[in-house]
Amino acid sequence: MSHEKKKKRPKLAREGFLGRLHYFIERALLNIRQNVLVNLITVGTISLAFLILSLFLLIYVNLERVTETWSERVQVTVYFDRELTSGEVASFSSKIRAAGGVSGITYVSREEAMRRFAQRLKGQEKLLQDVTPETLPSSLEIRLKRHMREGEAIAGFVARLKSMPGIGEVQYGEEWVKRFSDFMVVVRFAGLLLGGFLVLAVVFIVANTIKLTIYSRKDELELMGLVGATRFFIKVPFLIEGVLQGIVGAGLALLLILGAYSLFLHNADFLLSFSQAAAGLVFLPLSHCAFLLAGGAMLGFLGSLTSLKRFITL
Amino acid sequence: MIELHNVSLSYQHDTPALNNVTLNIAKGDFALITGVSGAGKSTLLKLIYAALRPTSGQVMVDGLNITGIPVSQIPRLRRKIGVVFQDFKLLPGRTVLDNVALTLEVLGWGKNDINRKVYHILKQVGLEHKIKSTPLRLSGGEQQRVAMARALVNDPRIILADEPTGNLDEASKEKVLEILKEANIRGSTVVIATHDRRLMGDWCKRLIVLDKGAIVENTDVS
Repeated sequence: MSHEKKKKRPKLAREGFLGRLHYFIERALLNIRQNVLVNLITVGTISLAFLILSLFLLIYVNLERVTETWSERVQVTVYFDRELTSGEVASFSSKIRAAGGVSGITYVSREEAMRRFAQRLKGQEKLLQDVTPETLPSSLEIRLKRHMREGEAIAGFVARLKSMPGIGEVQYGEEWVKRFSDFMVVVRFAGLLLGGFLVLAVVFIVANTIKLTIYSRKDELELMGLVGATRFFIKVPFLIEGVLQGIVGAGLALLLILGAYSLFLHNADFLLSFSQAAAGLVFLPLSHCAFLLAGGAMLGFLGSLTSLKRFITL
Repeated sequence: MIELHNVSLSYQHDTPALNNVTLNIAKGDFALITGVSGAGKSTLLKLIYAALRPTSGQVMVDGLNITGIPVSQIPRLRRKIGVVFQDFKLLPGRTVLDNVALTLEVLGWGKNDINRKVYHILKQVGLEHKIKSTPLRLSGGEQQRVAMARALVNDPRIILADEPTGNLDEASKEKVLEILKEANIRGSTVVIATHDRRLMGDWCKRLIVLDKGAIVENTDVS
């Protein structure tokens, strides 16, 4: 009988892991080719959604950069009513560094202080007539790392300094730091809120676009089940397709924004720049680009997975 | 090969589509299930390939009780069964080759083997010259034969055909029946559901008549 013969079935070239993988990738690419229009629309929509998100990120990254420049003005100064010996400078410096969060320390001698003072009063030298270096204090100027430049962090640092023997007067522009910290809270909150909304919108748009593309092929899904395909077998090519759509969509958005950046934005120093150091916009760092691409892939995957659950009737 | 024991099935609150049906279709049978529209023919076929579950009773297919078969086991069952659907269920965007190949792709066949086998089966149904066409460019009879080729291509143990000759001209009907007869000769158990009792021929081994979901006639005519 033919069924007895069938036990000697033909070699199943695509039965093993690699064979199946090869089939899934080939099928996904074939599906894209056979549904070019639907795929183009999907990728286009994903790309638009990611374009908005990327633009937001670009603005946010540059805003962060501007505030970074501003925050560099924050420095703590320790005043001494006498000149320090180089040994004392080294000793204080190492004690201060031990307090943590210090990025640099400069000793300003009385001579140096006098020179700076004179430079600041250029054109009004008469005012300097009675001022000698001895009347000015020497100081240690302490630059802090980014995370130490705001609110409680800096207050804590200053408190630690004040508790050190030999250190008396410490100044750090308390009022300015407070205003800067408040401003940063607002910027971060607004960024988080807006970014959160944007991410939600992108998730919604991508998931629904993918759902529509899968819906348009629900007959195929049904038929696969009817001819004996497992859920896994049906799903994988669609998941690969979703991941590719997500990556290509996000990649296209990045290319578009890179194009816009190269053409118009890179020298747009009138935007967001409040100091020379921050002139011009920077492009998204590589990590952010990678994050967007990975986000695209993830959304494509999850969008496909949730839609497939609805449409596979098996 | 196919056994139903006291099977009933109701769609929600409707009157039962099948009512206490018991039947046994032996291996190698060629069975014709007839009855008017709504008699429960399609429902009965769907029970056999586990697209529906009985409300009560037991369904056995190829020695396996599929009444409460887990979803994960359904693909294995369906690979033994070739189904010719009433509406063909061909994918319009794919070629005849791709449509028929689907059954073998699911089994893990390689490309070359698939091409050879699909060509062979299409030659059997007389459509090898249409291998690159899409279903939309085929006549109704040709589409029906492609659907049959897809059902037959992996030499299934059971072939279920739902109204395989509906809307076909006499010549196409003959061709379709001929293909099913040949599959039966090669060892497949064939079950045809049709409203057209005139299809009954000397090749038919069992006649089952359904009316309002119940069997009113079950005759061994071999």
